[in-house]
Amino acid sequence: MLAEFGTDAMPIAGGTDLMPNMKHRLFTPAHVVALKGIRAMRGIEVVEGPGAGTGTRAPGTGTALRIGALETLADVAANPLVRHHFPGLAAAAGLVAGPQLRNMGTIGGNVCLDTRCTYYNQTRFWRSALGYCLKKDGTVCHVTGVGKKCVAAHSADTPPNLIALGANLTLAGPHGERVMDASDFFVTDGIWNTRRAPDEIVTGVTIPIARNRRSAYGKLRQRNSIDFPLLSVAVVGDFGETGTVKRLTGVVSALGARPRVLAGWSDLAVGGQLDGATIDALAARAHAQCRPLDNLIVDAEWRRAMVPVYVRRALEELTVS
Amino acid sequence: MEVVRLRVNGDERVCGVPAHYTLLETLRYGLGLTGSKQGCDKGDCGACTVIMDGRAILSCITPVWEAEGREVRTVEGLAEGTEPHPVQDEFDLNGAAQCGFCTPGILCSSVALLDRNPAPTREEIRAALAGNLCRCTGYAKIYDAVEAAATRLGGEVRGPEPDEPAPEATPVERVGA
Amino acid sequence: MSSRDAAGRVGARDVARRATGPDARETVRPGDALSTIGRPMRKVDGLAKATGRARYTDDIRLPGMLHGKILRSPHPHARILAIDTSRAEALEGVHAVVTGRDMPTRYGIIPWTPDEYPLCVDRVRYIGDGVAAVAAVDEDTAIAALDLIDVAYEELPAYLDPHEAIAADSGPYIHEPRKPGWNGNVTKVVNLEFGDVEAGLGDSHVVVEGDYFFEGTTHTPIEPHCAIGLAEGNGKLTVWSATQVPHYLHRELARVLEVDPAQVRVIQPPVGGAFGGKSEPFDLEFCVARLSMMTGRPVKILYTREEVFYSHRGRHPFHMRYRTGASRDGMLTSVDADIVMDGGAYASFGLVTTYYAGQLLTAPYRMPAYRFHSTRAYTNKPACGPKRGHGSVQPRFAFEVQLDRIAEKLDIDPIELRRRNFIGANTRTVNDLRITSNGFLECLDEVERASAWKRKHRRLPFGRGVGVAGSTYITGTNYPIYPNDMPQSGIQLQVDRSGRVAVFSGASEIGQGVDSMVAYIVAEELGVPLDHVRVLAGDTDFTPVDLGAYSSRVTFMLGNACIDAARKLKAQVQEAVAAEWGVKPREVLLAGGLAVRAGDTGTSMPVRDAFNLAESAVGTLGATGWYNTPKDVHGDYRGATIGASPAFSFTAHVAEVEVDVETGFVTVDRIWIAHDCGRALNPVLVAGQMEGSAYMGFAEALMEEQIFKSEDQGRVGLHNAPSLLDYRIPTSLDTPALESLIVESIDPEGPYGAKEAGEGPLHPSIPAIANAIYDAVGVRMDSLPFSPPRVWRALRSVGR
Repeated sequence: MLAEFGTDAMPIAGGTDLMPNMKHRLFTPAHVVALKGIRAMRGIEVVEGPGAGTGTRAPGTGTALRIGALETLADVAANPLVRHHFPGLAAAAGLVAGPQLRNMGTIGGNVCLDTRCTYYNQTRFWRSALGYCLKKDGTVCHVTGVGKKCVAAHSADTPPNLIALGANLTLAGPHGERVMDASDFFVTDGIWNTRRAPDEIVTGVTIPIARNRRSAYGKLRQRNSIDFPLLSVAVVGDFGETGTVKRLTGVVSALGARPRVLAGWSDLAVGGQLDGATIDALAARAHAQCRPLDNLIVDAEWRRAMVPVYVRRALEELTVS
Repeated sequence: MEVVRLRVNGDERVCGVPAHYTLLETLRYGLGLTGSKQGCDKGDCGACTVIMDGRAILSCITPVWEAEGREVRTVEGLAEGTEPHPVQDEFDLNGAAQCGFCTPGILCSSVALLDRNPAPTREEIRAALAGNLCRCTGYAKIYDAVEAAATRLGGEVRGPEPDEPAPEATPVERVGA
Repeated sequence: MSSRDAAGRVGARDVARRATGPDARETVRPGDALSTIGRPMRKVDGLAKATGRARYTDDIRLPGMLHGKILRSPHPHARILAIDTSRAEALEGVHAVVTGRDMPTRYGIIPWTPDEYPLCVDRVRYIGDGVAAVAAVDEDTAIAALDLIDVAYEELPAYLDPHEAIAADSGPYIHEPRKPGWNGNVTKVVNLEFGDVEAGLGDSHVVVEGDYFFEGTTHTPIEPHCAIGLAEGNGKLTVWSATQVPHYLHRELARVLEVDPAQVRVIQPPVGGAFGGKSEPFDLEFCVARLSMMTGRPVKILYTREEVFYSHRGRHPFHMRYRTGASRDGMLTSVDADIVMDGGAYASFGLVTTYYAGQLLTAPYRMPAYRFHSTRAYTNKPACGPKRGHGSVQPRFAFEVQLDRIAEKLDIDPIELRRRNFIGANTRTVNDLRITSNGFLECLDEVERASAWKRKHRRLPFGRGVGVAGSTYITGTNYPIYPNDMPQSGIQLQVDRSGRVAVFSGASEIGQGVDSMVAYIVAEELGVPLDHVRVLAGDTDFTPVDLGAYSSRVTFMLGNACIDAARKLKAQVQEAVAAEWGVKPREVLLAGGLAVRAGDTGTSMPVRDAFNLAESAVGTLGATGWYNTPKDVHGDYRGATIGASPAFSFTAHVAEVEVDVETGFVTVDRIWIAHDCGRALNPVLVAGQMEGSAYMGFAEALMEEQIFKSEDQGRVGLHNAPSLLDYRIPTSLDTPALESLIVESIDPEGPYGAKEAGEGPLHPSIPAIANAIYDAVGVRMDSLPFSPPRVWRALRSVGR
């Protein structure tokens, strides 16, 4: 149906992103295609074999957890398997918006969440008074003051964790199914920040399970509920028997259109202990890589200053588990 | 217009509504169930909270067809016959409703919580109500009410002192309303 | 007596204390003689609200009802050159379109500053100003019709900053100057001096100077404004509205729409929160009335949440400078204030706000000399007005921080400093306001004790701190908004042969419990069970005038009116029963559903029979009661009446906070709220008002800001975030634990000694938190809100 109606149709799962955006006339599909009836898109289960862990950064036993895209964020957050293997992801799912929204919103929808910006997530009247923006109906980006590049912020809580965990996403469309690394899913264009085609849907996520893997998530926001992140930090570490770091990944988001995999961490951390000095060095490296813009209404300089703080706090969580 | 078939508070209801209607609009303007309120109309405040298949959800961002085939419970469906739900009664006793506009949504969140967790801690109550904005109470009396209701539902009914009859509610009439 | 929680669980943390003030108690009978008053009772509308039966304005649907929408200005300041509504009128389903020219009469809640039209006539003054309205078969059609209204504008320069607005020396001003050569960007200037301020400062041991900024905030009731108009064709016009001021709305509808006021009926259904945001007429009320008069059909307009932010009338941003002097032992010597207020596009209550900004600071501390200079500027933003604690929350913040600074400089405990400066009961302030009962010292005692202040202040580890602040607030403004000598509150009682008593009340139930309050009084006075009292309220066609739910006036004024009516009725009943029993009328008591002979419980009859006896004796039973304010409670200088009140409430808070130094997050763990409400008519409701007030102050302290984009942020004057997602009000996970400590000073003129409780307890939250932050990390937060980025910047500026 999505293929038949083309850009006139949009898929809807929980509707928690789509419905407000439709009310703001940011999305004006003639049709919405309900996904809720698709049984294959449900379930949280351990899978084995070739289907598990095709992600390039997913070494391990070939065991993985598959989460159907229609699983609600509340169910993901509460699921014992998710909590056991991926506490960072469970935390992230449990920190999305408020309780009712987590009962509605799905992990697939969260992965596909539209980018957000103070100049975009507004009513049509507001945007008309502004003169619209590059992302919708206009030609200028009011954040950067020039055209061409939309810098709306990727604002979903779960994807930084999925990327850091080496998960892959299964997409289905008129031409069949394809599997993609979560880290390849996002692009830097705030207008359409994923490689999902409009007639494709995400049907599930598959996350490799590894022993001695720890994860944590930090979310910066001014209220303790309801709010989208002003900064999000997901960290995943693999540890040897003596606590030696074997692999360490950090992903920062809610700054630009695409979650950022922090570079240069391995040479600082791998082979050593995750001690205070190492954590400080990793946090400093994260800070150097992140430069938030005024795409959200909160002090960008403060958001940037919070990067090393939140990275450090997330890494410290890895050391206590 | 579209014809939708809903199961609301135990009743099978059929209703013709514009295709873009949300569950909230259908309840309020289609079925006359005006207990559920609209505060923000886009999922930010929780005044529209209803219970769908046992879970608290935001009816203002739920397309009405999404509710078809599900069990919807609104504030009007919380009482057992003439007996208000203990949470409703405790809201009254504890002064947990001031203007009362967020109250139906908070009651639905509370009942959904108590149905799953009959003996919640205060922290669990706070967490369960974190998607319902109240502007009057500062939340304190709401927690008191939910705790008292949980106690009552657990069988340990804490009624008024024996020598003191419970003050009865008096209907207030705002004429025309 | 210490615990009012007769039901065991209700208000378990509430501590009620009788203040030890000198003479207040003798004028009222002892509290233990009361049966209903002072006890935790159900609200008369409690179950209706808890079951979804209460019907708010948008819950009403009338046959044939049309839906209206208002077209709003996309420009912050512009001339309207032309409006063409023909395309909208031609749209199928559109029944009427109205523009400013159809209602060209200025109005304003304050009769001296009428500067608004129901819809703009020739000028728009903020983004969101109403320009035209349509009525259509449904909301979708109405929205579509707005797109078909063509408005030609000529943009004008916009003012965002009040200082720039005041500095302007030529037009176009935001409003026409009232006199040639005046600045049309200034609403009001007030200069008042009491005593010799400069001499006082000169004689001071310490003088603390400080600049403060209070950001604007808005009420954010969860119910958006809604109104329905119904013109019946026979000249009658009915308007249902979510308003706090049905009487003022009644007057303005009649005047602006040129309808005989006797033909206008305003019905006020339960209101889903207001906080001052629904206390004057709004465009939608005029539009539904006018559109209904044009179509003959009922018309409803429901604001979107975005429109609620544009209608605003919330807290003014205040730029404040204070100089405060004190002697070596901490006694205040002199206070000098300079205040610039950012008023937004219209006057609203601004004339009063400009006075309140100075007038309400003169208690609970004695000030030998005081001067304030306040100026309210117009800017091209939604109009500011009265929000809970109107005009006095901002100066109170600055002043209580000043006191904290003085206490520190003099090394005096901040609570002790406040005690020393206590103004006392039965006195006059420096600006000649009469103070009667005053339980402020008890409030200080309570928060000091409950918070374990002495163990905490300056003794908690770095990052944790406690702060204290005090305040006062009016219990009703002494004068009505339009000058007249009629009562401020009236009430009518009517008795049925069944024993049921009906109360006809014109007061506005906005969640504060006024309908319950009058029922408690009737039950108390007439001895009838609470469930035999019916409150019929909020309809100007059959209720006596009450001026409205503003300025914390209702319990005091309507309560006294209700006592007046009930006692008149009671006298008739006592007389009839006394004649039957052959005793003196004063020997007949009405209590517990019975008429009883005093000292002889064997002689009694059901109160219903007593009512029937009285009806047989005097005819159909009914009584009216009223209240008007005493007129000797203020001075006689110009402006002396503004700030005057028959009684003042007093409050003290202690807040305990934790500051995350790395991030700037402030967590308020707990606020202890001690409030002198005179007498708690229902301690549960009083505690609810105290907690709600403290919550709202906390919210302003840490989170809320009604702010606007500048030119380099895309569009000058565009609201930064008109939604409940981005205008952040606290959730359950943000709000601190709130501990209510009720103090009862038993006011000599209040109903059973009661004073206000709904606004006063907001004030100290903000300075108490500011002072606690200082105690925690040694940083003075002089600008609101204390949001994490601001606290983080403040900490960085001192090298933390």
